[in-house]
Formats: sequence, C-alpha cells, structure tokens
Amino acid sequence: MKRKIFGVVVTAIVLLAVTMPALAHHSFTAAFDPEKPITVKGVITKVRLENPHSWFFLEVKDANGKVETWAFEAGTPSGMIRNGYKPDLIKAGTEVTIKGLRARDASQTMGMLQQLVTADGKVYGLFGPQEAR
Amino acid sequence: MKRALIITALVLASAVSLAAAQRGAAGAAPAAAAPAKGPVPRMADGHPDLSGVWWRGSDVGGRPAPGTPGALGAGPRGQQGPPPPSYTDLYQLAAKEQFKKLGDKDDPTLKCIPTSFGTLNVSMFGVGAVGQIVQTPKQVVLLTETFHSFKIIPTDGRPHRDDVPPAWRGDSVGRWDGDTLVVDTKNFSDVPWMFAEGRVSFHSDALHIVERYRRVDSNTLEIEATVEDPKVLTAPWTVPKQTLYLAPFDQIMELNCSGFETQSLMDAAAKENYGKK
Repeated sequence: MKRKIFGVVVTAIVLLAVTMPALAHHSFTAAFDPEKPITVKGVITKVRLENPHSWFFLEVKDANGKVETWAFEAGTPSGMIRNGYKPDLIKAGTEVTIKGLRARDASQTMGMLQQLVTADGKVYGLFGPQEAR
Repeated sequence: MKRALIITALVLASAVSLAAAQRGAAGAAPAAAAPAKGPVPRMADGHPDLSGVWWRGSDVGGRPAPGTPGALGAGPRGQQGPPPPSYTDLYQLAAKEQFKKLGDKDDPTLKCIPTSFGTLNVSMFGVGAVGQIVQTPKQVVLLTETFHSFKIIPTDGRPHRDDVPPAWRGDSVGRWDGDTLVVDTKNFSDVPWMFAEGRVSFHSDALHIVERYRRVDSNTLEIEATVEDPKVLTAPWTVPKQTLYLAPFDQIMELNCSGFETQSLMDAAAKENYGKK
C-alpha cells in the first residue's frame, strides 16, 4: 500500500513538473533562488527537449533509500541544438550529478540547471554540451 | 535580484566551461565558423540584399564562432562584461521614481509580451539572440526567433499606417538611403519594455525608433539606432552600433512562450517577495 501511495505521489510530482513550466525568456531569478544552490545525484528518467525551455527529470535516492523525483529547467531547445545537443544525447537511465539553483517554492523538488555531469565525466551546461573557451 | 537569464547563462557557461576544461567536455559540436566573406549581395533593383540569419556569433550560453564576440561579448575564458547599455539614465524625474518601484516581477515578458526593442539592443532579436531577414523588392521582413514575432517593413514609399492600434512591436516603414536601409518605427503600445530579463525599461506610447541597417560585406551587418521618447526621456538615446554576423545556418527555429504554465512557480516566488528582504 505504502509503495502504491509513493508511486502516486511520484507520478503526481512528475505530472506537475511536466505540465509546469517552462519559464518565458525572462529572469530566472524571479523563480529560482541564486542563494540556494543545490546538488543532486540520481538517474535520468526523462528529458524533454521542448519549447520554450527544456527539462531534465531524475530520480534521486537519499541515504534511507527514499526516492524523490527532481526536475531541472535547462535552456531553449533551439540554443541547445545549435550548441550541439541532440535529442537522445542523454537517455533515461543515465547516472548524473546536477548542480543548480533551487526553486523559490521549496515545496517543489525543482531547480534551474547549471551543470550536469554524467558518470563518465561528460559535462553539460544550461545550453547543452560545453567546451573550454 | 535583477540578474537576468542572459547574464546568468553566460556566467554559468564560463563556470561550466572551466569545469569542462578540467573534466572533459561532453562532445560539444565545435562552434561553426561564419561563411567565407565576400561582396555585399544585391537585389535585382541594385539595393543590398539584407536577407539571412543574423546573430552576434553565438546563442546565449553558446560558444562564440571564431572571430565573433558571441551573444554578449566574451572576455577571457568566456567571462562577460556588464549588461548591454540601457537608456534609463535618461529617464525624466517622474520616470526615475517609477523605475525605483519596479523589478523582475513586473517584467512584461513574464506574460509572454515581447520587447518593444531588444535585450541585446538589436530589435530583430527581441527577447533572444538571433533573427532572420527576408527581403523582397517592396518589403523587408524581420523574423524574431524568441517569442516568434515579426516586423514587416514596406520600402515602397508608403507612409505609416493610420488604421491600426498601438502595437507591441510598433509600426515600421523603411526607405533606402544609398546602401543603408532606414527603418522608422512608431505607434508603440506602452505595455512592453525595451528589454527583457527583468531589466526595468518601460517607455511611453510616444516611443519612436529609427534604425539604420548596413550590410558591409556578405557576412557582416551593422545596425545603428536612435530612440526618442519625449514623455519619459530627457533626450534621445543613441544606441551603440551593433555588429551582427551571418549565421552558419539559414533558418531560425521555434521558440515560443507559454507563460501560463509558470504560474504556480511564480505565485510561490511572489509569496517570498521574489527573494527580496
């Protein structure tokens, strides 16, 4: 029963995140708090390369084994694609560490993506693949 | 808390770039170089053909193409300077008072209202960093990727329209001054701001913008602009000359805005007064 409730909650969170938002092309700091950096490590469940901004979803397990679904907002698909990102570059099941800024609404497990690093050390930023300048 | 996405993105990009240098990048496509430079292409009527996709050499957060400054201009290791110049220093006293009362949360782009000018001081870019020009013998059409907007600029000598209400992007007419396209835009609504990203930049319905577009070679477009608004400015504002580059792709993409989905997040932010103490 507990497992079922947990599943419903996770689904609800994911649905909320999916139907939620992509910010318009405005200041991220209106919705995400630069003073609340956050780092989470987990497994990608879904990547939505979509307008106006893309989203990365992942499941994160805490020390007690409890799983939370997190959603991180990334850049515009047009900018990401022109920067070298491809729709299947990061697949579900990929282990990642994401650094970002937490949503001002702390009741939601959401953030703005600053850096995504895969288990094999590849680094992505807000707009996809990054290279040293 | 007026730092904007563009600023944030570039700062983050530089930090991430540093990390990438240390840890190995994620197979990023090398920044495409601009096409080979040649003479200014011309229409059958002899006027320069301004058609093409234009940018400053990169997207926001992207890697600048060789020989270009990138969306905001790149410094060492991707560091970037202050935000693009604004005209708010020229606000009249009443406008200065109003300026103090406004902030991020009042930015019309939160409601998907486009800018009346452009965050990077390029009207064709609007809220973003790339735009496309399609030129015909009697019209020049500016297409804006971010928020998907357009400006149709008749160049056949007709006057401004007198049958349309004030518009977010104004009403434009154009004429050729030698090889320079002069675009006169007025009849703006006073709802949009000049810039996005939370940069307070309101104006009145008396806003009047004159832009001069000159393609200096096949790869380079220079734009100069003057902004007048006698209801809120003490003097006209001369926009610093913008140099754009022909992008290595020939189509802009879809980048729409659908602000209603952000409502819950924005409501929560509002309860915290957007982080202001």
